[in-house]
Amino acid sequence: MSSALRHPLPGDTSRATTDVRLSVEQVSYAYAPNPSQAPLFTLEAMSFQAKPGELVAILGPNASGKSTLLKLISGALHPLSGRIFLNGFETHSLPVKTRAQRIALVQQESRLLFPSHAWEFVMQGRHAYGGGLRFESQEDILIAKNALAQVGAAELADRWMDKISGGEKQRIILARALAQQPLLLLLDEPTLHLDIGAQVDLLESLRRLAAQNRYTVVVVTHELNLAGEYADQVVLLQRGKCLRVGPPATVLQREILEQVFQAPLSVEMTPSGRPRVTLFSNK
Amino acid sequence: MQHGFANAMRRARVLGLAGLLLGALPLSAQTLAPAPASPATREVVDEAGRTVRVPLLPSRIVSLAPSLTETLYALGVQDRLVGDTDYCDFPPDAQKKQKVGGIINPNLEEIAALHPDLVLVTKEINRLETVRALDALGIPAYATHSRNIDDILSTTQKLADLLGVTETGKSLTADLRARLAALHARLELLPPSRVLFVVWTRPLISVGKNTFIADALRKADAASIVDATQDWPQMNLEEVVRLQPDYLVFTASHAESASRDFESLAVLPGWKLLDAVRNRRFAVISDAVNRPAPRIVSAIEELARQLHPAAFQERPVPEEPAVPAPVQANPPAAAPAHIAFNAQPFGEELACAR
Amino acid sequence: MRPLTLTRLLIRCGILALILFAVVVVAMKLGAVQVSLYGLGKDLLSVLLHRTTNLSSDYGMIVLGIRLPRILLAVFVGASLSVAGVSFQALLRNPLADPYVLGISSGAALGAIVALIVEARLDLTPEMAGLITPVGAFLGAALTIAAVYVLGRRDGQIDSTTLLLGGIITASFLQAVIMFLMTTLSGNNLRGSAFWFMGDLSTPQPRSLLYFLSFGFILAAGAIYTTASDLNLLLAGEKEAMHLGVDVPRVRIVVYIAASILTGLAVSVSGTIGYVGLLVPHVMRLIFGSDHRMLIPASALGGAIALVIADTLARTVTSPTDLPVGAMTALAGAPLFIYLLRRRMA
Repeated sequence: MSSALRHPLPGDTSRATTDVRLSVEQVSYAYAPNPSQAPLFTLEAMSFQAKPGELVAILGPNASGKSTLLKLISGALHPLSGRIFLNGFETHSLPVKTRAQRIALVQQESRLLFPSHAWEFVMQGRHAYGGGLRFESQEDILIAKNALAQVGAAELADRWMDKISGGEKQRIILARALAQQPLLLLLDEPTLHLDIGAQVDLLESLRRLAAQNRYTVVVVTHELNLAGEYADQVVLLQRGKCLRVGPPATVLQREILEQVFQAPLSVEMTPSGRPRVTLFSNK
Repeated sequence: MQHGFANAMRRARVLGLAGLLLGALPLSAQTLAPAPASPATREVVDEAGRTVRVPLLPSRIVSLAPSLTETLYALGVQDRLVGDTDYCDFPPDAQKKQKVGGIINPNLEEIAALHPDLVLVTKEINRLETVRALDALGIPAYATHSRNIDDILSTTQKLADLLGVTETGKSLTADLRARLAALHARLELLPPSRVLFVVWTRPLISVGKNTFIADALRKADAASIVDATQDWPQMNLEEVVRLQPDYLVFTASHAESASRDFESLAVLPGWKLLDAVRNRRFAVISDAVNRPAPRIVSAIEELARQLHPAAFQERPVPEEPAVPAPVQANPPAAAPAHIAFNAQPFGEELACAR
Repeated sequence: MRPLTLTRLLIRCGILALILFAVVVVAMKLGAVQVSLYGLGKDLLSVLLHRTTNLSSDYGMIVLGIRLPRILLAVFVGASLSVAGVSFQALLRNPLADPYVLGISSGAALGAIVALIVEARLDLTPEMAGLITPVGAFLGAALTIAAVYVLGRRDGQIDSTTLLLGGIITASFLQAVIMFLMTTLSGNNLRGSAFWFMGDLSTPQPRSLLYFLSFGFILAAGAIYTTASDLNLLLAGEKEAMHLGVDVPRVRIVVYIAASILTGLAVSVSGTIGYVGLLVPHVMRLIFGSDHRMLIPASALGGAIALVIADTLARTVTSPTDLPVGAMTALAGAPLFIYLLRRRMA
């Protein structure tokens, strides 16, 4: 199966828009806290691909392996078997700096030890483009400003990070990822602490950014309807197994969703061809 | 609940048994000495101002300071000394006595196991807590306090009185006073040598002017350039260089280690600025000078011989001052000081005690 | 939006360097011996130009031979401790970290005590005898660094929390061993070592040692400075740092070893001087922000300034006796620490 996929050479960008950008091939993973013990958790072999401009949703209940899969794609973990290619390069084997130029990860932020401004935070995204002891160039400043503008947070630039709201912080974190000018944008449960309006705003922005900047966006979520409405592809996981990969209409179907999420529901199609899931109460 | 109580009882029983066994060990290890035959006591006031009830003739004495141990030997009452500290090393026989621990942390059980009828302490290096603990055990503790050489001599006499050897004490102190007087006579007309007494080099620590060591220096016709009221001041090297002492004085138990110390100082950038270092003018005396005991007089004499060699001729001390030649503040710079350190034990004064 | 530029960095460092120079000049003037700066200036010039070997001013020799080396030692130790402090605060992600938290000072102290005990039994040349205490201290520090590194690893890499725990435990253990050994030291040795533990800059060091120290400082501080941007990101979060392009294991090892070497060198020659490594980084952070490209050189210069001032006070306040410099830093440091703490609360 893997031989059928093309791996474009580094300088070859002419066919970039139609080529596969991200290719996950028969990737599995096992986690064992103690090397001599049997693994506690496994991700079974799975494959999927994504193109530039696509938004992929990785969907599943808790402990289904969504975050593990994202970490494998980001290069933080090495797969037990199989390979992950980004534009022909194995993500895990890239040097750290190069990887940071191609893949940006947005996740729940660690506690900030020392206060910093929002623009300082966004500038961190430019770190991957410099040598050992570098000072930011005009170009870096422009890119950072641009990134803030793209997430609609330009006026927050001079504010302190610990004095802005959760939603604003989320936007700044996204701006930092954009400042990395990546090919692949990964987000781990970005909607967790956002209200419904903010969730919709975020997904709208992601879809727009994917189209504008030709990102491939991979979002881990358990929000069925967000995935259904905004994703071009859905990967459905349950307990480490990939159950189904495909466009939302083919993945979000009643029988399989009820089995995965253990809740009665119904699925309708909206006029635009997108599935909408409605939950019922148990009794 | 029941379990808890039963367990506790069992545990208490085990501990109690263990405690008995352990407690019995030291007792069985010692031969129990007979209690003092005479319960006759009297009240005295010790040198710390405390009123103590002591036996008329103390026969089982524990000394908690090396200087006191030495004094007891000097007074010839070493047979009555049943215990001393780990640091009591002079005379060599003192090392064979039963050890009761350190100076600031003696082992009270060991002391009590010896059934002493008197424990001697000094106000300078022993702790008040030790004395209080001994009081609580009903063991009389007598404290000495010596701020200068005269105090040392009077302490020696008082101890002699306390221990019933007044005459021995008188002859010992008389002899010591005579030696000091003779020394004074020899040195009277000589200007004092300006010295720096070195306790420690890294950092530089000397002695304050109110210590008995400073007084000992004065008796050897040496003036310490340190004018501090603290007992162990840390000296600024710049100040020492500005004052340019004539001699550096070290204490050592061996001559070799002292000259090694000195040589290692001589190569350091700041110390080289001292004339005394460049001209190798250093004196080494025994560490008896650190102890307020009779032996300190020997150390004083030793120091005087090294600082003022011209004052010591072969003939005995005449009535008039002995230095006829032009009085020189220091020996000529060309001739390095002779380290007149003899490795023999300083035992002259013990001969008088017999 | 005003990112740090090279120009701004150099200007700020230049100002700090000027302040340091002024402080050094004042420190040269003050002391047990009165000095006229004009006469001293002339002397320095003539020495520099190799015109004379004898100095015209009366006490010029004292100032150049004793006071200046001591001031330079304070500069070195202050800079080393502050850079080590900044580095450990970043490495351990803990604003309370100081250079001694990983037990290096205890290891150095133990090495020095062992050297003291051993020195008496060895037959050494005078030069060696002078060096044995700093060498022993540095060996003790080095062994501690290695031991804590082994303890502080998780999955083969340094982990901040594990490192901190390993260091604290090692420090406690070494302290216990030190206390035990100190009971075996006799009176004079004991007094001397107590002063050493309070920090002491008054002992003149052999010239070879001073050159070695400067060399070591430049190497170690330079190595840390190359990771300055990485440290900025590391503080944002370890996982995030990796995804932003930081080689976290490499940065951790480099910073750990270099900062430990700085601490070991400083403690070997001056004992344990407290508060400098903890507070100078915080003060510099208040003034200049958390960007380590500015913070590291600022801490070095700030630490040098602080320690020269403290040492000058230590040797002039109770002239002609010296106070331990660690006492001065504690006296000034504790209130400052409380003030900084309250600022953070507000």
